[in-house]
Amino acid sequence: MSKYLYVYTLSLQNVLQRRASLLMDRVGGIATLLALYFFWSSIFKDSATVAGYPKAQMLTYVLMMSLLRSLVFTGRGWEVVGEISSGRLSNYLIRPIRYLGYCLSLDLAQKTVHCAAAVFEISILILVLGAPFHIPQSPQTWVLFPIIATFSTLLFFLLEFLVASLAFWTSESGGPLFCFDLLVQFLAGAFFPLDVLPRALQAALYMTPFPYLVFFPIDVYLERAPTEMALKVLATQGAWLVVVGMAAATVWRRGLRNYAAEGG
Amino acid sequence: MPAIEISDLTKEFRVPEKNPGLWNAAKSLLRRRFRAIPAVTGLNFSIQEGELVGFLGANGAGKTTTLKMLSGLLHPSSGTANVLGYTPWQRRTAFQKQFSLVMGHRTQLWWELPAQETFRLNQEIYEIPDAQYRATVEELVELLELRDCMSIPVKKLSLGQRMKAELAVSILHRPKLLLLDEPTLGLDVVMQKKIRQFILEYNRRYRATILLTSHNMDDVVELCPRVILIDHGRLLYDGSLRQVVERYAPHKVIRADFNEAVSPVELARIGRIAQYQGTRAVLEVPRGEVSPRAADLLTHFPVADLTIEETPIQEVVRRLFTQAPSKAAPRG
Ligand SMILES: Nc1ncnc2c1ncn2[C@@H]1O[C@H](COP(=O)(O)OP(=O)(O)O)[C@@H](O)[C@H]1O
Ligand SMILES: [Mg+2]
Repeated sequence: MSKYLYVYTLSLQNVLQRRASLLMDRVGGIATLLALYFFWSSIFKDSATVAGYPKAQMLTYVLMMSLLRSLVFTGRGWEVVGEISSGRLSNYLIRPIRYLGYCLSLDLAQKTVHCAAAVFEISILILVLGAPFHIPQSPQTWVLFPIIATFSTLLFFLLEFLVASLAFWTSESGGPLFCFDLLVQFLAGAFFPLDVLPRALQAALYMTPFPYLVFFPIDVYLERAPTEMALKVLATQGAWLVVVGMAAATVWRRGLRNYAAEGG
Repeated sequence: MPAIEISDLTKEFRVPEKNPGLWNAAKSLLRRRFRAIPAVTGLNFSIQEGELVGFLGANGAGKTTTLKMLSGLLHPSSGTANVLGYTPWQRRTAFQKQFSLVMGHRTQLWWELPAQETFRLNQEIYEIPDAQYRATVEELVELLELRDCMSIPVKKLSLGQRMKAELAVSILHRPKLLLLDEPTLGLDVVMQKKIRQFILEYNRRYRATILLTSHNMDDVVELCPRVILIDHGRLLYDGSLRQVVERYAPHKVIRADFNEAVSPVELARIGRIAQYQGTRAVLEVPRGEVSPRAADLLTHFPVADLTIEETPIQEVVRRLFTQAPSKAAPRG
């Protein structure tokens, strides 16, 4: 266990050392946040509720989205693809360390820094712009939401790892991950709440793991549905974690048999 | 029990056919054709604990592929391997804690951080007790003259310094088996020598088994009592270095540049002329007489530059092919 903790601290150093790239990431995030924020603010000029969301809820959705983006959507996918196709993966395969755990430790370090930055940015926005912000009222939400957010994080991590593992077979390696990256934020509800979509589309989407990454978690945070709904979200996330986890393990095992350990 | 024992080890790579042209590229989208590249074919050898063995062959002979199978990175197409009592590609933790693979142009050091951070990381990964860790690092830093390199980001080290740090970090856990792939590749002569000395020292001190690949005869002549030579993935020779040197590399090569054209007739007394271009010549000189002949050359010819080299591996391989009585000579 302590080896993964050490990887985490090393990686923390590394993230902080690359200030320029960290700054760029944050600026990109803030730009998206501001764009969405002002977009929704202007829509609420004419009406008190839009698609069943009062203004405060919709703006909270946008702000929480920004936080979850830093928590859930920072993956290691491209690094995994790179390490598989360049053969740098070999470095880990010959040492007594689990690659999945290693990646997760690296990723958690990124998430730590980005979440801290996001909390800071959001607080500034609330203070400066006087953004209305929903604070959960019921104690259940305070208990359940952190667990649900953790499950989201793990679910995205495993999903991305699964897609990245396809690099064992695709020689132009990045293709599947590129498509995944393009679609996942949209399907997860990272730009708008999914319940503004037509019903049929919603129903189809809810059959996939994507809405469980951010849409349902924020729904729980906003306390729009009763507590049973939150428990249902948690249970479904758990089921997806098992399914995706097993798929990722299988694909990884097969991939390793196919691995050519190129280079060197 | 031998440290390494392989039998009929074979590896074929399957690579997609790539034919030139847009039309062929489009066709291969629909149906991919694969071609098998044999990299290692029916290899057999066994290495005892504590041996230092040179694994030789021209570029592309299959040395790296063999090491990758021995370290468990690649599954063989067929055949078996037993390394320290394990099947390498099962990747057991107990096995991984006992060996190291070092590749000359690969790094496990974290590029942006000082080398000492990767050292600490390996302490954690291999679960090395603090006291042993401190003692080992101290010893390695001393032996490899690494003191100044430890706290500089790895990307700022020279190739030679990086290679030394690479070796050091790879043996922190005192592996019983060291697989070295071209450890001296790209290094200058002085650095090559240092690395070789260190390898020898590690072998002696810990009775570690070392298998070292190279396509540079110098590495092996200095280090390895035994050599295994492969060509096109097949075993060509497995036996004492002395025998190879006496039979197939009895000469060293003197490469000389002259300030003005010299007479080939006079040069012939120094050694057999392998190449001659007026102001430049390559001479083959019997191993035992290199010093006097080089001295002769320096005093009686207008030498601008001179190097003394081992017979290139390719040449040894060629001679083995054409002269060897039986292809795989008995070990001796
Ligand atoms: N990942 C790979 N895919 C396809 N062919 C490979 C791969 N790795 C090595 N080869 C081929 O296998 C042969 C042996 O390569 P290698 O073991 O690297 O040789 P050496 O280390 O002796 O120079 C070469 O012909 C090389 O092109
Ligand atoms: Mg090689």
